[in-house]
Amino acid sequence: MTALTDQIALTASQPATRRGPSKGGDAVFRAAAYGSALLVLFVLAGILGSIIYGGWPAFREFGFGFLTSSAWNIGTEQYGALVAVTGTLASALLALLIGVPISLGIAVYLTQLCPGWARKPVGMTIELLASVPSIIYGMWGLFIFAPLFARFVQVPVSNLVEGMPVVGTLLYARVPSGVGVLTAGIILAIMIVPFVASIARDMLDQIPTVLRESAYGIGCTTWEVVRHVLVPQASVSIIGAIMLGLGRALGETMAVTFVIGNANRLSASVFDPGSTIASRIANEFNEADGMQLNALMALGCILFVITFIVLIIARLLTRRVKAA
Amino acid sequence: MSNAPVIANGQTVSGSAADASAPVRIAVKDLNFYYGSFHGLKNVNLNFHDRQVTALIGPSGCGKSTLLRTFNRIYSLYPEQRAEGQILLDGVNILDSKVDLNDLRSRVGMVFQKPTPFPMSIYDNVAFGLRLYEKLPKSELDDRVESALRKGALWDEVKDKLKQSGMGLSGGQQQRLCIARTVAQRPEVILFDEPTSALDPISTGRIEELIEQLRSEFTIAIVTHNMQQAARISQFTAFMYLGELIEFGPTNRIFMNPEKRQTQDYITGRFG
Repeated sequence: MTALTDQIALTASQPATRRGPSKGGDAVFRAAAYGSALLVLFVLAGILGSIIYGGWPAFREFGFGFLTSSAWNIGTEQYGALVAVTGTLASALLALLIGVPISLGIAVYLTQLCPGWARKPVGMTIELLASVPSIIYGMWGLFIFAPLFARFVQVPVSNLVEGMPVVGTLLYARVPSGVGVLTAGIILAIMIVPFVASIARDMLDQIPTVLRESAYGIGCTTWEVVRHVLVPQASVSIIGAIMLGLGRALGETMAVTFVIGNANRLSASVFDPGSTIASRIANEFNEADGMQLNALMALGCILFVITFIVLIIARLLTRRVKAA
Repeated sequence: MSNAPVIANGQTVSGSAADASAPVRIAVKDLNFYYGSFHGLKNVNLNFHDRQVTALIGPSGCGKSTLLRTFNRIYSLYPEQRAEGQILLDGVNILDSKVDLNDLRSRVGMVFQKPTPFPMSIYDNVAFGLRLYEKLPKSELDDRVESALRKGALWDEVKDKLKQSGMGLSGGQQQRLCIARTVAQRPEVILFDEPTSALDPISTGRIEELIEQLRSEFTIAIVTHNMQQAARISQFTAFMYLGELIEFGPTNRIFMNPEKRQTQDYITGRFG
């Protein structure tokens, strides 16, 4: 007790040896940190504000009809979002339809079946897919994938289904050029696989070993363990991972612009060209002015809202898992 | 020094005496086990008698869990682990590569250190294992689930909420659900790997009573760190140390009159 008091007295009597913390420096540091954080909010608010401001004339002019009209006529200044919104949703959903089963397959393989020595290299390869720039996917899709797709898929399938009900419409290519909504969906699927697969793998890895062992312990096959125990156990976070992939697919621009065909036509066939919000904006922004520019801004608003909702859902789902 | 009674607090050793004349359900012969290059079990020879509880005791890392995990070959999920020798279940060597593992695991059930309810309803947790192996009409499935939950001493607590998730139960209830799930498949042998190590004393007591009841139908092997527990519920005890079986015999004798010095040191708490 006395020793402690002595020491305090000692320090107090020699103020020169120790400089107190600089109050001023700390205040600057705190202000800088606050500023950095606030900057993000300002930028976000600025972007949102300016696209709403830019798109407002289009919303005012066309009202709710902007969402339901499929017109996009620069000559008569008639604009509608329906084709682009449909193309965006259709290509993104096709991407999920193709990409999610593959991603889950990869995740299950890596966590359950893969021999230990192969896990790292295979996992790394899949993560490398995520680092391929989207322009590369676009170029590869247009110059290499699309011709092959036209020759080996679109032409034979169209010949096969011609005249049949439903599939005859859905899978018929009037002009088998290789580009189209399905082509965009496939390229997008390749692009979201690394994201969905690596998150799903991490989630499956977090499942306790005893749960897995006890499922095998009652005599389940690997399929039964995965189907009935592991995937349901990680289901909420896997849905979160899928939502993140969806968010990426909705907003992807360059790769899609290359392979979707950029037609303003509403077609029931997934082989036909279409356009997405992002591809429409990328294609027309350079030469747009007046109402066309306003309409593109309005499209941007709609895309912003759609991806924002998807990301919020993804966030909520992954957070619920962490809390549980 | 005399062989002083080793169970503290005046607790008695096992209510029912060992029946060494009971037929042998599992015969372990010259079993060696390897984790990669580590020699985990060394020449283990041991018999498990029908409808008797055999406790495996010993300090951490002695190989008792390893031994238990060979009986349903759950270790073979891990390619670097392998067993050599023979384990005869009803006379058939289960280490043989021709053995159907899924079938084996439905005959040799296992309950783990931590409760592991599956992410499904209480009813489905029990029915899941049944559906894997038997095609039962709904009414019979209902009966089997009820009977399994009764044997798991859980029926009265869950009969009104069978459709609710099994994850919502307390730890002790979850563990009894896992026991019911195992029992439902009507296995021949049930393996318990420290089934009460994550539970409070009251839940532990209930599980122990349950094991005592299950003995009338099943051959039971239990790994435990709790020596009072081994003494209370088992008829036979095997003491293991550093991968070797040091001593095996009726629980009464092992605890009251151990032959080996190491066994006595362990159960009197001199090391462990």
